[in-house]
Amino acid sequence: MDNTEIKKISRKTLNKSFHHWFYGHLTVFSQEHMQTFGYLTSMLPIVEELYDNKEDQEKAMKTYTAFFNTEPQLGSVIVGVTASLEEARANHGGVDDATINGLRAGLMGPIAGIGDSLVVGTLIPVILGIALGMSDGGSPLGAIFYIIVWNLLGYFGMRFAFFKGYELGDKAVGILIGQQGKAIRKAIATVGGMVVGGVAATWVTVKTSFQLTNASGKPYLVLQDNLDSVYPGLLTAAFIVACWWLMAKKNISPIKVMLLLVVVALVGVLVGFFNPGLSY
Amino acid sequence: MTISWVQAAILGIFASLSSMPGMAGSTIGNYTLGRPLVGGLVCGIILGDLKTGIAAGVAMQLVYIALVTPGGTVSADLRAVSYIGIPLAMVAIHSQGLASTGGNAADLAKSMGTLVGTVGTVLFYGTATMNLAWQHIGWRAVEKGDFKKLYVVDWGLPWISHFFFSFVPTLLMTHFGSSAVTALRTALPMDGIPMKTLFTVGALLPCVGIAILLKQIVDSPIDFIPFFVGFTFAASLKLNLVSVTVISLIFAMISYKLDMAISTNKQVASGSPSNITDDDEDEEDI
Repeated sequence: MDNTEIKKISRKTLNKSFHHWFYGHLTVFSQEHMQTFGYLTSMLPIVEELYDNKEDQEKAMKTYTAFFNTEPQLGSVIVGVTASLEEARANHGGVDDATINGLRAGLMGPIAGIGDSLVVGTLIPVILGIALGMSDGGSPLGAIFYIIVWNLLGYFGMRFAFFKGYELGDKAVGILIGQQGKAIRKAIATVGGMVVGGVAATWVTVKTSFQLTNASGKPYLVLQDNLDSVYPGLLTAAFIVACWWLMAKKNISPIKVMLLLVVVALVGVLVGFFNPGLSY
Repeated sequence: MTISWVQAAILGIFASLSSMPGMAGSTIGNYTLGRPLVGGLVCGIILGDLKTGIAAGVAMQLVYIALVTPGGTVSADLRAVSYIGIPLAMVAIHSQGLASTGGNAADLAKSMGTLVGTVGTVLFYGTATMNLAWQHIGWRAVEKGDFKKLYVVDWGLPWISHFFFSFVPTLLMTHFGSSAVTALRTALPMDGIPMKTLFTVGALLPCVGIAILLKQIVDSPIDFIPFFVGFTFAASLKLNLVSVTVISLIFAMISYKLDMAISTNKQVASGSPSNITDDDEDEEDI
């Protein structure tokens, strides 16, 4: 710390830090400290390289003992940003504990929001949707396709986010949660909404077997056909909106909604609304 | 079809790797091995019936296609769905004599998977709770400045939690569950009320998965418009998912440019509220 030489984290150490995050961000998850230990293990190589003496290392590591949890794939960017801030701190760049933790706390919420809707809500369902089509009929092709495409995108996407975060440092904050970030989030939600609609119409089918028959046993009203002539997939859409309404507006947990569907199914089967039409 | 101890043990190892705080990391673990589609492939290989495995995996994947775990809260445990649910569903499909790629086999798989997945949340909370002990060791190491120990805490010790909450439950449930499932056939006839209900539930459950995802993106009824546009493309126009995604990009682009135009407008006419119709005209200039 006494010399005037500017300290720089080596590429090798940054790689190590990234891989520690890539692998270990959730391995020792608990409800109390979700990704905190993953964060500690990924900052350790950086801290060890930047500070020679033990006391400085201990002081730096204490910073990262604060609670951390976000969407881990996109969250790589936050680890990158703090790597660059830690470097600035080691060079007396006017960065302290409060700066780093304020930034971490300020980013983890918005990043979780973007990451959940972008990665988990849109990207994964789209790849899975394509893969499901390929595996229809019992072919392993779709599963293999998903394994390859997702892991390449996941690994290199996280790598890109990490190094971009390191490169931009605290400038990344404005991009992520400023005006532009908000506009990107809204645009992504549009893609997400449409894709989910497509997934629902392609892969979810709720059908009724309800029909009215005349005296000779011929059906003169097949409810499913009537509903589909109004809007294809009407019953499926109605069930999805109902589930959304129960969870979003009535705050009923997914498990309770599932239990409710069991009751609906039972009643539906008893009155003849649902009938899978099976026999051995 | 039965599941031997060796097969059950291999399934147990995959369960340890693939759960939400899983030992293969979340990209390779939870988001790859944990997905029921991939689980179907793995279980198919282990149990020696690839076709039924994949078919059961595809069916269960639908229910959990949109499984988001906001803030570490889970409604279903994927290690249980993929490595307990799928093997048992495969046994059930065989013992019921269903065609492995038929819709009825799929509905049976969905019901079984969801049942096991919901019960499996116990495993998730069990693992997370036991990890508290390892974290405690970690905090003491940090206090002492013994940082190397953090690697053991983060990468090594959680295996113990997984032995108890992933490996052992999977081992026992798949090995003994398979004979229970076979016995089910005689107890519950296919055209009786319980089985009919089970199949109907299987068809209804994916609605919950989709609704969980919608919860993330829909706040007001107006936000439903993109969903229904996408739904209409697929249901009425029969477009596939890639096509729907491509079309959605143009709407995303318009939304982004419009928002950016509004914000630049606001900065220019600082203070005065921006007019929507003005922005529509400006949008073409960018």
